[in-house]
Amino acid sequence: MRRRRKTCPICENSIRHIDYKDERTLSRFTTERGKILPSRLTGMCARHQRQLGTAVKRARFLALLPYIRGYAR
Amino acid sequence: MTRPYEFVYIFDSALEESQIDEHLARLHQVITSPDNPNPVTETSHWGRRTLAYTVAGKEVGHYVIVRCDAQPDSLTELERQIKLEPAVLRHLIVLNEGLAPLTPDEAETEAPATATETEAPATAAETEAPATAAETEAPATAAETEAPAAAAEGGTE
Repeated sequence: MRRRRKTCPICENSIRHIDYKDERTLSRFTTERGKILPSRLTGMCARHQRQLGTAVKRARFLALLPYIRGYAR
Repeated sequence: MTRPYEFVYIFDSALEESQIDEHLARLHQVITSPDNPNPVTETSHWGRRTLAYTVAGKEVGHYVIVRCDAQPDSLTELERQIKLEPAVLRHLIVLNEGLAPLTPDEAETEAPATATETEAPATAAETEAPATAAETEAPATAAETEAPAAAAEGGTE
């Protein structure tokens, strides 16, 4: 009765490396508060989930993504 | 042996593009050597963009992406020079491990670059992002992640 595992949304688009500068794509894999979604929810393969973690953290450092979304300045 | 790198600079948005190019040329002298006369392979000006949070008291920054081949040991000196440069709000130096070529996705990166006077395109792109996040991820997961955040907010305020 196990649910079939989702296929990796990045592999599906045949992208090998997640780009930390593409904040549109990255924000798809964060919660509305800006946390990184777990692979349980993203359905990503392990390699891409690891890349996602680094990419989101780089994007945060570059102020492309907020550390906390909706936090008043 | 040189290795491929990617630099991202966030410059003070008060500077003109020509001034920024001067700064870049000066900084990149450090990684230029007789056996590596033209280290920079690609430069891309993203132009003014709204920052996701304030950096050094600034809301807007001028993003520049540079691809280059550099000697690893020349980067410590480059980094020191960058830190001494007050025009650079923030910088990132990473190894280019198979990133896509720097042809910017015209729709989002070219628009703010051409319309540098108005901040509108950049802010529009930013407000759009959460909407796509909500619709592309499964609704169930969105609801799940939303609830604790909302609860936490209520508790603190």
